[in-house]
Amino acid sequence: MSSSPWSRYRPSRSNLWNLARAWTLRRRAGFAATWSELDRDLKDGPDTAIDRVLAGQCRTAGVPADFAATADLLGNAAAATSDADRLQAWWLYRMLFTPDPLTERLTLLWHDHFATSQLKVEDVESMHDQNITIRRHARGPFSELLRAMLRDPALLVWLDAPSNRKGKPNENLARELMELFTLGVGNYSERDVKEAARALTGRTVLQGRYAFRAEHHDDGEKSVLGKTARLDGDRLADVLLDQPATSRRLAWRLCREFLGEGVADDRAIAALAESLRADHLHIGRAVETILRSELFFSPRNLHARVSSPVEFVVGAVRALEQFTPPPSTLLLAEWTGKIGQALFYPPNVGGWPGGRSWLSGRTVIARANFAAALAEGRLAAGSHVETLDLRGLAARSGRSSDPLPFFHELLTGQPLDENAFRQGVKQSETAGGTADERFNRAVALVLARPEAQLV
Amino acid sequence: MLTRREILRRSSVLSLAPMLPAFLTRTAIAAKPERDARILVVVQLDGGNDGINTVVPYRDEAYPRLRRELRIAGDRVCKLNDEVGLHPSMRSAADMVQDGRLAIVQGVGYPNPDRSHFRSMAIWQTASPEDPGPASNGWLGRALDAIPGRRDPSAVFIGRRELPRALRSRRAITASFADPSDLALALPADADAQHPDPNASDLSVFVQQTVAGGYATARELAEANGRRAKSKSAVRYPDGELGRQMQLVAQSILSGAAARVYYVIQPGYDTHQAQGPAHSQLLGELSRSLRAFHDDLAAAGRADEVVTLAFSEFGRRPEENGSLGTDHGTAGPVFLAGKAVRPGPIGTTPKLTDLVNGDLRWNIDFRRVYATILDRWLQIPSESILGQRFEPVPILKV
Repeated sequence: MSSSPWSRYRPSRSNLWNLARAWTLRRRAGFAATWSELDRDLKDGPDTAIDRVLAGQCRTAGVPADFAATADLLGNAAAATSDADRLQAWWLYRMLFTPDPLTERLTLLWHDHFATSQLKVEDVESMHDQNITIRRHARGPFSELLRAMLRDPALLVWLDAPSNRKGKPNENLARELMELFTLGVGNYSERDVKEAARALTGRTVLQGRYAFRAEHHDDGEKSVLGKTARLDGDRLADVLLDQPATSRRLAWRLCREFLGEGVADDRAIAALAESLRADHLHIGRAVETILRSELFFSPRNLHARVSSPVEFVVGAVRALEQFTPPPSTLLLAEWTGKIGQALFYPPNVGGWPGGRSWLSGRTVIARANFAAALAEGRLAAGSHVETLDLRGLAARSGRSSDPLPFFHELLTGQPLDENAFRQGVKQSETAGGTADERFNRAVALVLARPEAQLV
Repeated sequence: MLTRREILRRSSVLSLAPMLPAFLTRTAIAAKPERDARILVVVQLDGGNDGINTVVPYRDEAYPRLRRELRIAGDRVCKLNDEVGLHPSMRSAADMVQDGRLAIVQGVGYPNPDRSHFRSMAIWQTASPEDPGPASNGWLGRALDAIPGRRDPSAVFIGRRELPRALRSRRAITASFADPSDLALALPADADAQHPDPNASDLSVFVQQTVAGGYATARELAEANGRRAKSKSAVRYPDGELGRQMQLVAQSILSGAAARVYYVIQPGYDTHQAQGPAHSQLLGELSRSLRAFHDDLAAAGRADEVVTLAFSEFGRRPEENGSLGTDHGTAGPVFLAGKAVRPGPIGTTPKLTDLVNGDLRWNIDFRRVYATILDRWLQIPSESILGQRFEPVPILKV
């Protein structure tokens, strides 16, 4: 075995290419796979499966031919209203039906990184535009994403850039730029923040668009992290992008997104940071390194992460193949909020704390209630109820003889231990309602189980 | 996400039916509160409260110079003594000082102040001024863990955000909700989830316990469903989220819940620009909520059992910025409300003429306040929770 923490995964007796690994790949790098997609991934092997994820070709079902046009239509319609609920629904539509779920995952990651909230921005159009900008740069060089964000109207309003003027500095953007977007806390001084704020003066928003007001810009000499020059915003970004702390923070961020709790140690993060730095902070290629690695497929990385509310909700709909008709994306948006992740409303500029803090008494109950609403067909658009044909799905997947174990594997990536799920099994056999209703309720119970909260 | 419309809709539903929560009670009904079951309510003033315009040093000669636009004239403050007075919107709080129910600890901070919201909040919430590290639990979580024979859920967080770090614990369970209907379970509770697998990984055990805790709370709600509320309280809470949340806290306490700690968050204190009206509104809502809450408890004869702590992650810079706001600073005031407090301002007022790099000097380490609350109020030995002994602050009569 090579000593690099990021050596490539090769299936072996101890690290078999099996359901748990194919499932983990598709959960972490997307929003879950259908059973037939998992089947295909298992047959074709990890290299092909990963190639397809990277190429945006991993989905075989539930990708409408007119996806791009419909998505644009929904996005523009939401932007034209002042209805943030519709904007959330638009993004969930994208996650559900895009051929390229990895790009949506990364868009969500950067939404969390440059966490901007509609609560203060109060402009649906600029929140929409920020999302488009993030998506465009989500997998390219981080420098381009950062420069775009430093011109992004929603972000600038969010962090008070318009009131940061020559002689009247407002440090909000400068501080978060250093603390959250690039270096990380402890890697700069208070003086650096003050100087960076001066470099960012003049950046503002006029009628919803980015504008540079030279008369408000302080073009004097500034000294940031030992670099002294007449820095403006772009040159400040260059100084920050060049710092090893920035590549370290990005490496940490990507590992937090794609790997389980504590899976990447300091050495692994340092090695990834080094390769990021040597590769102009290219995000897409770093993600590829992670997804192809031995570490990614190591036993301790399986079922080692609490799924985020958006992953949980979209993943359940995808895995259960609720494509025609799909659930109401407005209702799905409401549910992700109840479970603790309202899109476009991160709790603060630090983003969602994530990890274990996704789970609390309230969110556990909300997850169970979402599972019930989905399985009972209460998420249909309009207010009617559509009973899901889940036993039919098991039959089509060749598992009509053991449908409940089938759904356990599909939804948790692990075989069902019937001893540990006696009540649920009993539910599917004896409780009230029609046979379909009883069975669907048992599937909801699977989705509410502790195992199904982990990816 | 809650739209404004939704919030309005929900709050009107609530005001019609504010009976909710017998549901956190452990046993059928704890008819009599246990003698030592004192309760702490924490109000987190989120964003960094401008302490200078909260407890206004109206006599300080440097005040008008540093606060050219944001200055509050001496004849407008609610005077506490010859040096300081509360912001004019804090009339209710000033009344509480008068009738002996509000203490204000001045100049609270910690060594090497951090001006990052997240770092400073993590420091306050974990009580570790050194880098707390991602794994460490909160000061309240550690305190609840240390209670022998603790009854869970031993803490309640009211709000839609994630659980505050302060409540993170090894074992103690926090129930959290924003609205009573959030805790009703639409599925038959998974009885299998009540038996965590002892051989599972640490993460699995955590998930199993959290799921089991959620179901336990839901079950209690269902059982409490029949138990109707007693008389509706006559106290009027201010409109707005904080008032509504403090009312939920009072209802939980009065219903006999076992929780020792309640936690609510009032956001909005990050006033980088146009601070005046926003800050005034926040402080007014805070003061009126505190007063309504303690009046409510007093009307039910439970005033002796509850102390409320209000803190913020830092104060703001003495010199206002160029956009009618203030930037991140250092020390700030901490409020303690309840019948058990020694009322009035405590500690020396930080001098605006004696700044360090343009920021206030802190006088009292926040951990001294925590230690006093732990030892004297919650009666949980503070030394093991905080890692060292801290000199108590004379804020409690008990």
